[in-house]
Amino acid sequence: MSEAPDLSEAEAFAAEHALGVLNARERAEAEARMAREPAFAADVEAWRARLGPMIDSIEPVPAPAGLWTRIERMLPANDNGAIMNKLRFWRNSAMGGFALAAASLAGVMVQVAQPPTVVERQVPVQPTGQLLNASVVSQEGRAQPLFVAAYDPDRKALIVTSLLPEGSDRDKVHELWLIAGQDNPKSLGLVESGKAKVIALPTELMGKMSEGAALAVSEEPPGGSKNPAGPSGPVIGVGKLSKL
Amino acid sequence: MASAATTTDILSPLMTRIAAGEREALRQLYQATSAKLFGVCLRILSDREESEDVLQDVYVTIWRRADRFDGARASVMTWVSTIARNRAIDRLRARGPMAYAEPVEELEIPDGADSAETLLAAADDRDRLHGCMSELDDRTQSVIRTAFFEGVTYEALAKRMDAPLGTVKSWIRRGLAKLKGCLQS
Repeated sequence: MSEAPDLSEAEAFAAEHALGVLNARERAEAEARMAREPAFAADVEAWRARLGPMIDSIEPVPAPAGLWTRIERMLPANDNGAIMNKLRFWRNSAMGGFALAAASLAGVMVQVAQPPTVVERQVPVQPTGQLLNASVVSQEGRAQPLFVAAYDPDRKALIVTSLLPEGSDRDKVHELWLIAGQDNPKSLGLVESGKAKVIALPTELMGKMSEGAALAVSEEPPGGSKNPAGPSGPVIGVGKLSKL
Repeated sequence: MASAATTTDILSPLMTRIAAGEREALRQLYQATSAKLFGVCLRILSDREESEDVLQDVYVTIWRRADRFDGARASVMTWVSTIARNRAIDRLRARGPMAYAEPVEELEIPDGADSAETLLAAADDRDRLHGCMSELDDRTQSVIRTAFFEGVTYEALAKRMDAPLGTVKSWIRRGLAKLKGCLQS
């Protein structure tokens, strides 16, 4: 075979993440980078797609009888629809502008040019939980995500990137919410359009960062929601936390 | 990948129904894919009981994440297989660093016989990847396969192969660059 050109440093790192040769610290770094750099995330996905077919060479083995019944019992009742219903219940129902807001935002996505300020860890420690990520998408079909987020238990932080055009939040702000279990939505603060932000999480919130919990973003008046129980403005997107 | 987009993926409509919360659709996907995914878990974990646990977890994950499936990027079979592989590797890593720092025998990957449930799209991708992998030298093929199926880190690979870390890294990076070139041609 003729010599192939070397991969760029960024692509090589993406390929290594897809292949699975990185150690825990590097994997955390790659996950965080996927959350704030869509181009890097696309590289990782492309490499997963390239290498994935290696799995096809494995012989199928019939799964044990009865396993489906066990799986069915474990299926959580909540899904995106249920989360949205919950949010609609909490938010001021008079707004009714969800579809409109989502439609006006869904079409736009920009690359985040500004790298976020990332606090370097001082002491290497073992991760205390699992890395999770979420893509906050509008509920109008499968548009590009409006926000992406990665939870890094090692850094006790959530890294959130707004993919909305910079400056599109002049009259209104975007507030991030954690929806976990039966609790009221918990505000995680405001996220400026087109910017990435590292949100330090207190211990009680870290315990709630688990698969099945969701992040949602609402449009609020400057300063954020005045409603102590949750969003006051329209919810423009929602995304569940999950591993990968 | 291109071939996934151009070939009809018979499982794709199921994903839309699963994303909408339809359990019957997940059951149908389970019927079509569970033998494959159980094989993947067994291949990585070599333990039946652990593989059953992981397989349960895999279908619960598919149930939760079905809304993220994008048929333009991968076939359903590739997507669900990747989830199974990742979950099995997580389990392998949870056994502790010793579990995969130990030298193991050279991996022998059996060539999968075409089964009824093997999709055309998946078969195309597999054949192309297989062809390109076979153009790499044996050592590079072997490290790439070991890393992929066991999630073995550079550090552990270097220890197993008794080679400097930088050398192993350059084998893999060069191998991946060649693989990409070959898959594009």
